Formats: sequence, C-alpha cells, structure tokens
Amino acid sequence: MNKSKRSVSLDGLLRQNIVLMSGLVTAPIIVAATSGERALVLVLSFFMMSYTSILLCRFIPRKIVYSVRTMLYAVVAAGLFIPTVVLLEKWFPETTKNVMLYIELLTVNSLLLAKTETRFYLKPYGAMAVDAFIYVLGYALAAFIVGIIRELLAFGTFFGMRWFDPLMPAAKSPFFGFMLVGILAAVCRAVTGKRVSAKKKLSRDRRGEGTI
Amino acid sequence: MTLSGVIAKIISLAMISIFTQNAIFDRAFGANVAIYASRNDRHVTGFTFGVTAMTTIASVVTYFIDKPMLALPNGYYFMPLIYIGVIGVLYVAGLFVLWKFFHKTYKNVRKYAHLAIFNCAVIGALFLNSNYGSDLPSYIGYGFGSGVGFFLACFLLNIAHERLDSDKIPRIFRGYPIMLIYIGIMSLALNILIGYTADF
Repeated sequence: MNKSKRSVSLDGLLRQNIVLMSGLVTAPIIVAATSGERALVLVLSFFMMSYTSILLCRFIPRKIVYSVRTMLYAVVAAGLFIPTVVLLEKWFPETTKNVMLYIELLTVNSLLLAKTETRFYLKPYGAMAVDAFIYVLGYALAAFIVGIIRELLAFGTFFGMRWFDPLMPAAKSPFFGFMLVGILAAVCRAVTGKRVSAKKKLSRDRRGEGTI
Repeated sequence: MTLSGVIAKIISLAMISIFTQNAIFDRAFGANVAIYASRNDRHVTGFTFGVTAMTTIASVVTYFIDKPMLALPNGYYFMPLIYIGVIGVLYVAGLFVLWKFFHKTYKNVRKYAHLAIFNCAVIGALFLNSNYGSDLPSYIGYGFGSGVGFFLACFLLNIAHERLDSDKIPRIFRGYPIMLIYIGIMSLALNILIGYTADF
C-alpha cells in the first residue's frame, strides 16, 4: 500500500509531467526557456504563483459553482503575480524583464485551472501539497533540460559561462522549442513506458475525451 | 481617421496577428488548448468561437484601461489582475446569456467554457495589445486576428490529427510529441515565409 501511494505521488515528475507528458503548461518552456537562467526564473515564478495558488485556492468553498471557482483561481494567481515579480525583479532584473510576458501568462495555467479539480482537490491537504510540489518539480525538470540544451546549442554557454562557440543559433527560436519539447516528450514516454494504442486513443479523441 | 482607414487598420493588424505573429506558431500561446481542441471537430468550432469572441471584446474593454493603468508607476504589476477581472466579467456575462437564452448550448459548453476563455491565447493577446497596440482599431484588429489565428492553427492541427495519430507513426511519438514537432515545422515554415524573427 505504501509503495502504491509513493508511486502515485511521484507521477508528476515523469509519468504525468505537465510539460512533457500532458502538455498542460508548455508556452513558457517552448518559447521563453532559452537558457538556464531563464529556466530558473520561469521555475521560481511557477512555484511562487501556481504552487502557492493551489495551496490557497483549496480554501475556496466548493459550494461556489465550478465556472466561478476556476475564475477565482485565476484571480488568486494574478494577485500572487505582484509579490512574485517584485522578488524576481530584485534577484534577476534583466532576465525577469525578458520573460515577463510568460510569467504573466502563468495566471491562467492549466495546472491550476484544470488539474486542481481533477486531482489535487480530491486529496487530503497534506497529500495534495506533496503531490502538487512533485508536479512543480516535474515542471522544473523539463524547464532546466530544455533551457540548458538550448543555451548550449544557441550560445555555447552554461548558465552564462562560455564553454564553446555557438553550434546552432536557431535553437533559441520557438520552432526549435516545439521540436525539442516534442522529442523530449517521446523520450519521456519511452522511459516511462507509457504507450497508448492508436485505435484506442483515436476513438477516445473522437468522443471528445482526453486530458488537458 | 476615415472609416476606410479604420477598416484598413483593423484588417492589416488582424493579418499580422494571424500570420506573422500567430498566437500558437509564433508565441505558443494556448498551444495545449489548441492540441486538445483539434482532436474533435466540434471542439475546434467551439473553442475558436470562445477565443475569438473573448479576444475581440476584451481588447475593446482593455483599450480604455491600458493607458491610465500603464501610466502609473508599477502599473504593470496589476495588469494580470485587471485582465483576469475583465475576462471574468465577460465570461460570467456570456455564460448568463447562454443559460438564459440558449439553454441547450449552455449545457453543452459549460464543461469546457473556462478552458476556451481562461487560457494563454486570450490573455496573451491582451498583453501583446498593451505592448504594441496604439489605438482602438489596432486593439480590435489584433484581438480579432488572434482568435482567427488560433482557428487557423486549430484547423491545421485538426486536419493532421488522424494521420499523426496513426499506426505509421512510431508509438512513442504518437499523439502529443508528434503534434509538437508538427507545430514546430509549421512555425519554421511561417518564419521562413515571412522572414520574421520573434524576439524571444
């Protein structure tokens, strides 16, 4: 029993990674994670806004209708945007300015708006806090892998330290971000062994089911 | 500005946001929602209608808010809160109208409506408007074009969906991974076609 509990709580790291497996929060990683430092800023902002929002929004009464409740989740995240950006602007002024648009977008990320209702809020508070943290770690893992690969290829640097001449400047472009995340998603599937039968999946999609 | 000038501006800004700064291919705004919506024909229509209506109407509203707010010192700290407020009010009003006058439609869309409204494509269009928009026609054009650009991307994903999900694709790439690679190729094609480079 303990073993199954542990495996469920680690789902967010790889098996249900929100970037590489379910694709819930992709835009910041695909476009803005072009270096290790940018990835760090995105991870910190995601942690401060989304994780804290998940913890706080648990106290929003379930009596409120679902449509309004999800709106309130976004309001809480937008409120947390202010202290998050104030801190990040002190720590990483230049990088925060460069990725600001993608920090602003985190107010409506699907981890907060969708996953809370289908997973986190079905658990006791402590288990939910651990589970959500694992999901944030999964996001961090994807952000750093993508950011570091792109920084090495596009600039030949590692967290700003020059290692070699740039190999592929286009690695910082959004199209490369899409392709890299796509390839990493396939690698992640191979590692976790999550394979869906094409027929089964197609019929499920036609019925309009699936995850977001 | 004459009426024809206003219309020309709206159309040109709409064209820019559809092709050169497409919400999904250029900025990845709402890419996850587009992938989800593209799996089902009805979702493509429903999500696109929701996104386009919201980006257009919210752009008009935020035009009147942006200038006084952004003139304040650190006014941009409050913009996400304001935009969520604007989108939220329009969302509740839209749901109310559907519930009151189109009850059957309301029953069908209520489960997905928040996904079509509270997503990066909608709020991203508002933030880009606040950065680049100069007057009301440019806000309307960019807002409307963002929704149409979202439709273009959803449509292109929808027509490719069955092939990309077929047995011909290696299992580990099937579905989400190959969709991302496909969007990447479309994004590369649009970049080359236009000769435009995003600043991110």
